[in-house]
Amino acid sequence: MLKRRKTLALLALLGAPTAFLLVFFMGPLVIMAIYSWLTPGLYGGVEWELFHLNYGRILGWANTRYDQFDPVYLTIFLRSLRLAALTVLSALVICYPAAFWISRMRPARRNLALFAITLPFFVSLIVRLFAWVLILRPTGFLNQALMGLGLIETPLEIIYTDAAVIIGMTYIFIPFMFLPLYASVEKLDPALIEASGDLGATRLQTFLRVILPATAPGIAAGAVITFIPALGNFIVPSVLGGAKVLMIGNLIEQQFLSARNWPFGAALAMLLMAGVLILLMAQLRLARAAQGEPRR
Amino acid sequence: MPRLLEIHKASKAFHSPEGGTITALDEVSLSLSSAEFLTLLGPSGCGKTTLLRAISGFEPLDRGQITIDGQEMTDRPAHRRPVNTVFQRYALFPHLTVGRNVSYALEIAGTPKAEIRTRVGEMLDLVGLAGLGQRGISQLSGGQQQRVALARALVARPKLLLLDEPLSALDKNLRRQMQLELKRLQEELQIGFVFVTHDQEEALTMSDRIAVLAQGQIQQLGTPEDLYRHPANRFTAEFLGESNLLPVALHDGAAILADGQRVPASGRGTSTLMIRPEMLGTAPVADGLTFAGTIRERFYSGTSNLLIVETQAFGMLQALLRADAPIAVPGSPVTLYAGRADLHIIPGGAT
Repeated sequence: MLKRRKTLALLALLGAPTAFLLVFFMGPLVIMAIYSWLTPGLYGGVEWELFHLNYGRILGWANTRYDQFDPVYLTIFLRSLRLAALTVLSALVICYPAAFWISRMRPARRNLALFAITLPFFVSLIVRLFAWVLILRPTGFLNQALMGLGLIETPLEIIYTDAAVIIGMTYIFIPFMFLPLYASVEKLDPALIEASGDLGATRLQTFLRVILPATAPGIAAGAVITFIPALGNFIVPSVLGGAKVLMIGNLIEQQFLSARNWPFGAALAMLLMAGVLILLMAQLRLARAAQGEPRR
Repeated sequence: MPRLLEIHKASKAFHSPEGGTITALDEVSLSLSSAEFLTLLGPSGCGKTTLLRAISGFEPLDRGQITIDGQEMTDRPAHRRPVNTVFQRYALFPHLTVGRNVSYALEIAGTPKAEIRTRVGEMLDLVGLAGLGQRGISQLSGGQQQRVALARALVARPKLLLLDEPLSALDKNLRRQMQLELKRLQEELQIGFVFVTHDQEEALTMSDRIAVLAQGQIQQLGTPEDLYRHPANRFTAEFLGESNLLPVALHDGAAILADGQRVPASGRGTSTLMIRPEMLGTAPVADGLTFAGTIRERFYSGTSNLLIVETQAFGMLQALLRADAPIAVPGSPVTLYAGRADLHIIPGGAT
């Protein structure tokens, strides 16, 4: 009796938030999933008729008069993957040593450093990206400084290239990479490093055999949490990449806003989500393996 | 034949957070023959851990020289020294199994796989962990982790094993058992052990020799019996075991106590007479010292009775009597006797 009443109370309490989440959180996702299989209307909107060529245009089986497979979409997918991966890599290269450095600081300084890393969050993203335009453009601060120093003669073409997008995304995502990394680096016991040296390992061997495996969960967490938003990002490429560097996020935005082909945009978004989910599952598997579950 | 370990005038100072310098080691010299169990004993901050870290190579010396087996070690980095360390909190690699922790040094050295397997097996047998090679570190108890740390440090067959307060994290019974096992292991392997501790009982139980350190200097170096019976100074007398310390005046070939009793002794000036509590008894001794007083407190511990006796001339004295000795109740008078052979005059003045 008592148990049943408890169950009822639990249902009453959890019912409302669950319903809310189902309708307003899952709802839009379900709508997009359905739209991606519908026919695009002639003047925007959709017609309720099953249509598989939205995916066919991206993945290769569409060859009707109006709907042709175009490898450019896959090219854009691949470019997004590459730029996101390079962003993760450059953020990691910057954050990993920084995490060690900051974790060894005195507490007062350490708090200041941690605050400084999260400081950019307090300013609008758009404003910060336009600041990067001022830095990177041909007459910008970077080129002026390099020319003033006599290192280059003509301005470097950085803005509106892949490099500019990677720089911008690295800048944005550094805190995302840093915080999980820092958490795992701080937990690393310095005695482990000494123990490894004591047992005959050089610094490099200690790094590869002790430090890297012990901080691997932090690296993986930072990589995932940076990679996913970088992959779907469309603000950085549209401000710093211009029309030349199109990422999947820009393509989806175009389909919804200018081309008004919602089903095709939805199909692109679904494929992006599928890719991210596959990567997440792979990461989860790796993390479990790395946790050193004992082999019996 | 070079000695296993020679330390010559090792000095090391640290900057304190307040801006001054702290002298951790002040011209410490020490040597160790092979297969000897040496304990560095002292209170925290006495320099014992710094000395151990100087031997292992983690703490470069400001001045001085260290040789191991005749080879100059002073500027050699830790990973190229033929010593291994058992760390205070074990510092086992959490991402590796017990077996991989133990095999670490051999893997680094590039030992063939088959040999690694046999030697890891032997090591686990030696420390009593046979069959646990596949376990994760977090699945072990504190005592088992201690044994893994030992096996890991011994697998590369070092000539010298350094132990940095390895038993301090264990509970009392387990600590006792590990003390005996460490001693057995050292005798079986016939290698040198340098053991750091602040626990005087631990030092007395296990060591061939003990170096008592304070303020960065070796106060006394000798066998446990030597240090206990004939402490070279007041610090050693007080740090190692309990003692009654009585001021004496040295004069005309005798030490004269505050109440006028005298015992034969050489030297001049003032000094300190040490009587260990267990050297005081209630049975009269001819030709010794006599102390009359009142029993103030009595502590019974099963094997013995500790009496706190108040005397006129010397204040409180401690006397450790056998548990079955006839005991008067607190408040009653008692006379304590000490034989002449059991007295020790601490050289080097009253301080």
